[in-house]
Amino acid sequence: MDLRIRVEERTILKRIDWNLVLFIFALNIVGLFNLYSATHGPHSQDIQGLFLNQIIWLGAGWSLFFIFTFVDYSIVSRVAYILYFLNLGAVLFVMFFGAVALGAQRWIDLGFMRYQPSETMKLAMIMVFAKTMAHKRTDQGGMGIRDLLWPVILMGIPFVLIVKQPDLGTALLIAAISGSVILFMKVKRWILAVVVISGLVAAPIAWNYALRDYQKARIQNFISPTNDPRGSGYNSIQSKIAVGSGRFFGKGFRKGTQSQLEFLPERHTDFIYSVLSEEFGLVGSSLVLALFCWLFLIMVRIATTSRDKFGAVLTVGVLSYIFWHMFINVGMVIGLLPIVGVPLPLLSYGGSSMLTTMTGLGLVSSVAYRRYIF
Amino acid sequence: MSEYISNPEEAKELLPRYRLFYVAIAMTFFSFLFRLWYLQIIEGSELREFSDKNRIKQIKNTAPRGLMLDREGKVLVENRPGFEAILTPQFVDEIDDVAEVLAPILGIEKDKLVAKFQRSQRQNGPYAPVHMKDNLSRDEVFRLKRIRLDTPGLEIRETVLRSYPLKGDGAQLFGYVGEISKKQIPLYNQLYKGITFDQGDIIGKSGLEEYLEREIRGEDGMQLVQVDAYGRETATQTPNIYGEQIKDKESVPGYTAVLTIDKTMQEAAYNSFTHDGRIGGVIAMKSNGEVLAWVSTPGYDPNEFAAGITPQTWSTLVNDKFKPLRNKVIQDYFSPGSTFKPYMAVAALSEKVITPTTIINCPGSIHFGKRDFHDSVKGGHGNITVFEAIERSSNIFFYKMGIALGVDKMYAYISQFGIGQKTGIELPRENAGLMPNSAWKKQALGEDWQPGENLTAAIGQGFVVATPIQMAVGYNTIGNGGKVVRPFVIKKIVDNDGKTVRETQPLIVRDLTQVQSTGIHVDPETFKVVKDAMRRVVQGPRGTAKRVNIPGADIAGKTGTTQVMGFAASDIYTLCEKRPLEQRHHGWFVAFAPAENPEIAVAALAEHSCHGASGAGPVVHDIMKAYFEKYHPEMIADYLKKERAIKAAAGPVENIEGE
Repeated sequence: MDLRIRVEERTILKRIDWNLVLFIFALNIVGLFNLYSATHGPHSQDIQGLFLNQIIWLGAGWSLFFIFTFVDYSIVSRVAYILYFLNLGAVLFVMFFGAVALGAQRWIDLGFMRYQPSETMKLAMIMVFAKTMAHKRTDQGGMGIRDLLWPVILMGIPFVLIVKQPDLGTALLIAAISGSVILFMKVKRWILAVVVISGLVAAPIAWNYALRDYQKARIQNFISPTNDPRGSGYNSIQSKIAVGSGRFFGKGFRKGTQSQLEFLPERHTDFIYSVLSEEFGLVGSSLVLALFCWLFLIMVRIATTSRDKFGAVLTVGVLSYIFWHMFINVGMVIGLLPIVGVPLPLLSYGGSSMLTTMTGLGLVSSVAYRRYIF
Repeated sequence: MSEYISNPEEAKELLPRYRLFYVAIAMTFFSFLFRLWYLQIIEGSELREFSDKNRIKQIKNTAPRGLMLDREGKVLVENRPGFEAILTPQFVDEIDDVAEVLAPILGIEKDKLVAKFQRSQRQNGPYAPVHMKDNLSRDEVFRLKRIRLDTPGLEIRETVLRSYPLKGDGAQLFGYVGEISKKQIPLYNQLYKGITFDQGDIIGKSGLEEYLEREIRGEDGMQLVQVDAYGRETATQTPNIYGEQIKDKESVPGYTAVLTIDKTMQEAAYNSFTHDGRIGGVIAMKSNGEVLAWVSTPGYDPNEFAAGITPQTWSTLVNDKFKPLRNKVIQDYFSPGSTFKPYMAVAALSEKVITPTTIINCPGSIHFGKRDFHDSVKGGHGNITVFEAIERSSNIFFYKMGIALGVDKMYAYISQFGIGQKTGIELPRENAGLMPNSAWKKQALGEDWQPGENLTAAIGQGFVVATPIQMAVGYNTIGNGGKVVRPFVIKKIVDNDGKTVRETQPLIVRDLTQVQSTGIHVDPETFKVVKDAMRRVVQGPRGTAKRVNIPGADIAGKTGTTQVMGFAASDIYTLCEKRPLEQRHHGWFVAFAPAENPEIAVAALAEHSCHGASGAGPVVHDIMKAYFEKYHPEMIADYLKKERAIKAAAGPVENIEGE
């Protein structure tokens, strides 16, 4: 009896993927230091309090992480559709009653936080995708039209709604995450070819009819930011200056002039990576890049050792989720991609992002926890 | 429930797909790493510089302009401290909002502030700081400081304001200052090698302020401060990047200009001129060319320019028909009228047309060519010599001299007095006036000189025009027996250590007792005769300007009246005072004293004052009085005593004023 209990205890601790926990935690710590710097400039009194908020979000995030670690993730497949439709309802609610910011309706004010349904929508998408994809046959050259129909509908509805908000960044992220999962599950080659070709055809049409002026401006500014250095190209230029001026070792903690003197816009959210790059230089920015990539590799390994297909797809979904956020955010900050309002997971300030990310990682942890077969 | 549990075999079929992720992760890592390396290592230094440029702002400390002092060191133009409100456009989010906040504090309407801001952006480009208001009051400064942090782009700067304690007195001489215009910047940078002119710089825009720009300007200082994205000065843990390499540079004040002006006389001239609301110009000059007083009216207050002139004030000044901005002493020319006659007398005597004792018959009018030429006195003056002719200002006498001499002989003499030539005074935009001759008319108008024009020219009408300063120089030449001097107003320039940088030496341009380029020379005796005649104008029993007389000062001079427009024959004798102001004659009075050995020459032109003696005479009288009271009270002691007695008799009130 005594012996059995001890074995149980040991296995609980052993089952947890401590590598995963360690890398997430490392990114959290870097993120907190960096956020402290970003929110404590000489004129930053208005955002100083956000640092403590973030610690609260982190606590909540880790709680969710461990709750999901210990709950069998198979439960997710049962509630996936419920969560998906509830979330869809929230997205619709936001469209009609949500608070307006920057010309877009994005969140619901819950009092203690601003809930952004489009953020959790990404996770709900991943769940329903894992559920529908898990038993698709993927041999015989991959999924055909019939296999794809339902997933595309599942993705298409929130995509269109979020585009209408308008929040092109989030919508594209949903498409990218879903696309990655679909691609992972293998698609027939001719379908891929059709998608690529129709994408090329649709791009100019979308440019002319679907995009709003500010969205066009962002893309134009990405192509030539110096067109309007004080206007819409400002963010991109200032971010590049911040990153580059960090040079090899950086300017030092809380000594980044671009961030401390507020030349960097949105320095505690979308441009948090510029703050880091400026103050810790190539050393710091490449270290964080490496931490992220290592975390991705850990997640891939968890997927490969998953006990079932559902777990694997779920893990791949969360992986895509964090990967694409990191890719778009860092890409934009270092001037490789146009400016889109996408936070950097684990580093940017923000409750919705933090809770969603930690929940997602909790699911991955849950997959890892159950990797052993008894 | 069981379909997902423990089916590792099924999951294994996915294994080959993970390659996709390895590839994506590796590509992302290396491309991002390469980009970071490119930005932070390859472009790092350049981008570091950009980030420093963002936060380090150079602030110019404008050097105080040099002072202008009178000949005794009394202040004519100085500086006083002030504050100005400035907006830096790139930090201003919405000018409408900012203007809304500023309007009640500055007491300027919101729309006007917005307009001012936008005008500056159009004229000076989008990044030039905009001066919203200069010369802020203490209260305004406090209220602006309170909203400073909530208003990005707003700055309160300490400035040095140019101050003109004499206000309108001598405004056109001293000039005014203002912000350099965008067009002027390249011109000035080319004109003044070694000095850099920038947006927002204050420069002299007219008068001595403009002429003395190089000496009076000083060297601007430089201060480096760290600012945040909203333009607020901000201290951080990172020190000034330039560290010890570049220190703040102190500004160096401009050099002091010591003028030849005598403040006492300057004030006397101005008070006298404005007392009756006279329009015109007056200049008083020492016989060696040093200008003692210089007034042009109506004046304007240059202090208003120093504090940033409003468009309304500016347009009032520009549209004023009596042109307050013009320096009438050198820029405007007038027919000399009868003040021309002493020059004619010199020419006629030198050419032996007459001798001092020649008697000429002068009726009320003479017929020449196809028309009658009238005297101003209906019955004429009868038989008179040159003495009476000048004393009573006979036109007929000088018509006859004009006929006898012809224009080219007149030109040979009178041009040598400086009529028709610039005097060489330091100030820019001097007008040369005109002394015609037949060759000039042929060339300029393509017509031959008409004999009748000899008559009009002889009494200083027609083509002949002169500036007040030319008349002062010309009369000074008669007074001192033939020496044409170059007038000057800048005595010396003194640097900040008190060392004299340059000093103006008096210069005799010509001596008319020697043979001149036009082949003439004047006998010293001739000047004595004309001087005696001019004495009688002021001191003689029938002189036209007896009211100017100051017993003991021995003033010699000549009145002049010039028609502003032609009148019909029936209208000639209409009383001048009954005409509308703008049709009234101009009055001249030009004089020197003491006649025997002149020390001072004064030329006054009073526009639309009808008569020389009553219009311009009193100004000359007051200047002369101020001069002798100050420099030779012994000469006019009796006169002063008598004047005091009169005032004392008039009652206690005047008595107090007199003291």
